[in-house]
Amino acid sequence: MDPGVRLMERVRARDAAAFEALYDGYHRLVFGIGLRMLGDPASAEDLTQTVFMKIWTAPDAFRGGSFVAWVSRVARNRALDVLRSKAVHPETEIPAELPLDGALDDDVFARLDAQRVRDALATLPAEQRGLIELGFFGGVTHQELARRTDTPLGTVKTRIRNGLRRLRASLGERVSQ
Amino acid sequence: MNGDREKLLDSVALYALGVLPREEAALIAAFIANDDEAMREYLDLRAAADVVAQTAEEPVDSTRSARMKERLMARVRADVAAGTTARPRPAATYAAWWWGTGLAAAAAVVFSVVTVAQDVTLRGDLATAQRRNATLATQLAQNDRVAAQDRRTLTDLLAPDAKRYDVAAGTVILRRDRLYFTFTKLPPLPRGRVYQAWTIPKGQKNPVPSVTFLPNADGVAVVALPADATRVGAVALSVEPEGGSKAPTTTPTFVRPLT
Repeated sequence: MDPGVRLMERVRARDAAAFEALYDGYHRLVFGIGLRMLGDPASAEDLTQTVFMKIWTAPDAFRGGSFVAWVSRVARNRALDVLRSKAVHPETEIPAELPLDGALDDDVFARLDAQRVRDALATLPAEQRGLIELGFFGGVTHQELARRTDTPLGTVKTRIRNGLRRLRASLGERVSQ
Repeated sequence: MNGDREKLLDSVALYALGVLPREEAALIAAFIANDDEAMREYLDLRAAADVVAQTAEEPVDSTRSARMKERLMARVRADVAAGTTARPRPAATYAAWWWGTGLAAAAAVVFSVVTVAQDVTLRGDLATAQRRNATLATQLAQNDRVAAQDRRTLTDLLAPDAKRYDVAAGTVILRRDRLYFTFTKLPPLPRGRVYQAWTIPKGQKNPVPSVTFLPNADGVAVVALPADATRVGAVALSVEPEGGSKAPTTTPTFVRPLT
């Protein structure tokens, strides 16, 4: 089980030590997402503070599933809020709470470290990888992706779809190894 | 029809990656909620998109890491000491709280070392900064509210515990106290006419007027009904003059009990 899930159960019971362990385990991920999306350490620090304070004050917002995936979505959405407030990328959105039955299960998430994911991502053709990374961390729409990469919209859609499928398959193989 | 469906399926990956504009995202969420193949595809691709975040994990320098942790733990320890229970609060409030705390701390340090003349200037600067901060906090809070509403809608549409009721050209979705109409093939209307939603309270027969709307060019519409769903016994849809009616003036497109 994702260790974050167990810690969140204790955070709900106002266990400060569990919150501290949660911070120790995941602040690098949250800070890294902030840094990739906002571009400067000070903003990433603000984002990290905000995300963890939300975890402490509203732990019920996490309703199960993978904690890593959830906290990543919360961090990304918070970064989008910041970008939106600067009127840089006002439109994209993803829900934080999602049904994940039938998808990569919690154990799989727990066994995937950043290096494995980087390795899996590196197996994608550069044009697929580039669009996926820019889309995820850039907080831009698919139209903007097409414009920035000078690629037809239909090609952007196909590359993202094929890239995510391939990444999904590659991650499955790596976890079963 | 098949071509339309293929187009929608193509957009599922974009939705999973979070690169669709809000309006389009709501449409695709409605499509996914009503199509088993799209839901399977979404769950698979969403899982892949989720792990992309993990590539961002970065070492944080120890000073910064300790500073962030100390601020957080100070608040956590204070809450625990006060016996404060967890409660939902808008994220903007936290940002403002930290900003406010930082500002107050900075002000305390500054005022202890400056001369009286400098003090006057700094007070002016501080007042300006506080006014600007208040404006930004208000804007951020508004953005947060809009974003939170969007996320809640998308989450509700896809939630496994949502109840779904098939109706002509779409689905009525009920989750907790919230109600949505989602349509994927609603016929276009002549100029001057709109679709109007109706809610019928439990134990009553007369419909209560709700929102009016028009589908997009593909016949797609996602509509959140501003009603407490726990008190609604049935919903209906009819075609009405622009601006809506107080009671249905045409035969309803459907009347659907929520049982």
